Amino acid sequence: MSEKFALIIEDEEDLATIFSEALKAGGFQTEIIYDGYIAQQRLNEVYPDVVVLDLNLPHVDGNQLLNQIRADPRLEKTRVLVATADANMAEMLDSEADLILLKPISFIQLRMMAERMGTAEE
Amino acid sequence: MLAQLLEVSSTDPEDIRRRRLLNILLLGTSALMFLTLIAVTIAYFVGLAPPEDFKRLASIILSVLASLALIFLINRRWSGWVAGWLFILLLTAAFALSDDPRQVVEGRSLFLFTIPILMSSVILRPWASFITASVCGVVITIIAMLNLPDYAQGSPPVPTILGFLTVAFVAWLSARSLESALIDLRILNIGLEDRVRERTFELQQTNEQLILAYERLQELDRLKSRFLSIVSHELRTPLSAIQGFAEMLQAEVYGPLSQKQRGALERIMANDERLLALVNDLLDQARMEAGQLSLTIESFNLRDLVEDMESTMRVLVESKKLYLKVHVSPAVPATLKGDRKRLHQILINLINNALKFTQKGGISVHFYRLDEEHWAIDVADTGPGIAPEIRASIFEPFRQGDSSSTREHTGFGLGLSIVKQLATLMGGSVGVVSEVGFGSTFTVRIPIVPPTNNANPA
Repeated sequence: MSEKFALIIEDEEDLATIFSEALKAGGFQTEIIYDGYIAQQRLNEVYPDVVVLDLNLPHVDGNQLLNQIRADPRLEKTRVLVATADANMAEMLDSEADLILLKPISFIQLRMMAERMGTAEE
Repeated sequence: MLAQLLEVSSTDPEDIRRRRLLNILLLGTSALMFLTLIAVTIAYFVGLAPPEDFKRLASIILSVLASLALIFLINRRWSGWVAGWLFILLLTAAFALSDDPRQVVEGRSLFLFTIPILMSSVILRPWASFITASVCGVVITIIAMLNLPDYAQGSPPVPTILGFLTVAFVAWLSARSLESALIDLRILNIGLEDRVRERTFELQQTNEQLILAYERLQELDRLKSRFLSIVSHELRTPLSAIQGFAEMLQAEVYGPLSQKQRGALERIMANDERLLALVNDLLDQARMEAGQLSLTIESFNLRDLVEDMESTMRVLVESKKLYLKVHVSPAVPATLKGDRKRLHQILINLINNALKFTQKGGISVHFYRLDEEHWAIDVADTGPGIAPEIRASIFEPFRQGDSSSTREHTGFGLGLSIVKQLATLMGGSVGVVSEVGFGSTFTVRIPIVPPTNNANPA
């Protein structure tokens, strides 16, 4: 069984690193993208099991990326964790996210979540 | 229709008034003449009046009507002064010819001349009555000399002329007082208009200032919201990044840590958490001041609230070698409605406050049913107590129990202020009972059924 793959779309470099390390510790292979437009392109090439998605992104916002993922049958099994500091923004999303994480997000909690996801579908 | 007929070409209010009056008199006289003409015609056709009388009367009436029409036109288009004099002279002439000469000079017809004298003071100028009186005097003198032999010696009918002058004097007096009263009224009116205009202008200015002030307030409000979001994002993001990296190190993702490294890391995390809590307090305070903080009302388990509180505070309490006793009375419903996160915040703030001032002993938290509509939480400590003189101010923002101890007890002094505002937002209240040397007990009262305002139902 190959390692699961997580795509982290977050423009705050530090937060992206923490997310990435938490997911790695939870058994994921990770890739970080800091820009909404680049994420838009990249989502056409990869098959992530999990996407950690920030909403405030340069060029293309998280809401649009979530719509793109939900409209793409290729990414049917992809789980999207929306990470935001603003609970109101999370409520105004067009498409459904699998999980809303309210910032600040604890490393420990995210790692536990990743461990659970990593083993749940083996 | 009548108003249109009475209109004259003038801008002077006195002139307009006189000329309108003259118009009314002209119209009235014309109507009278017209009725007389009809009466004479009927009398002629019925056979009461002989043809030559009818012809004479009809021609006189028609010529008077024509003169009146001419005067009317002059008055409307050109001059009230000329028209007025023509009318007065016409009247005088008509009265002079209306009767037997002796009657005109000495008899009953005399009173007729008072009519033009009075009228001239009203429709021309007050002093015009004297001129008309003189004209009338001349007219009757001429009539007397031409027609009456006993006046032929050249002595005028003095008593009659004196009568005319008396009437003229009375007319002058009354017309003058009428005119000056009217002028006073007009001046007062103009003053009133000016005052109204001034007040309207002032009101408009005040209005504009109010609108400006309102716009400035809105701008300030926008700035405040913007400031809040900047603080929220720019302070909290790095603080949570520090927390995340520290947790990462603590989880030994980057290799094992020595005992000393672990200790330093714990200090980093504790300090970061404190900063984060302060920033959150400031944000809550600002949001509450702006009325932007709303509650999320949902059903929750009291046991969950108690467990959350214990897991958050237990370590801190025990690290100070104090005890934390929790007692839940069975009379409190197991499932409550309210904002669990904010209730948790109230508990944490109260326990933190107790913790700050308590050096030995500990903290007891008691959940109980207060009455039919309220449940309550007591947070009691064995600290030094609160002096009565500062007890009233401890719920104000940025207050510390004792200003001399500010350096020792860190924080903004927002904890209790937030507790009070949250409790109020929930429709409840908070109070304190304290005895110096024996500790303090804070009591939060919360309604079992939360009020519907200020809350977003979940």
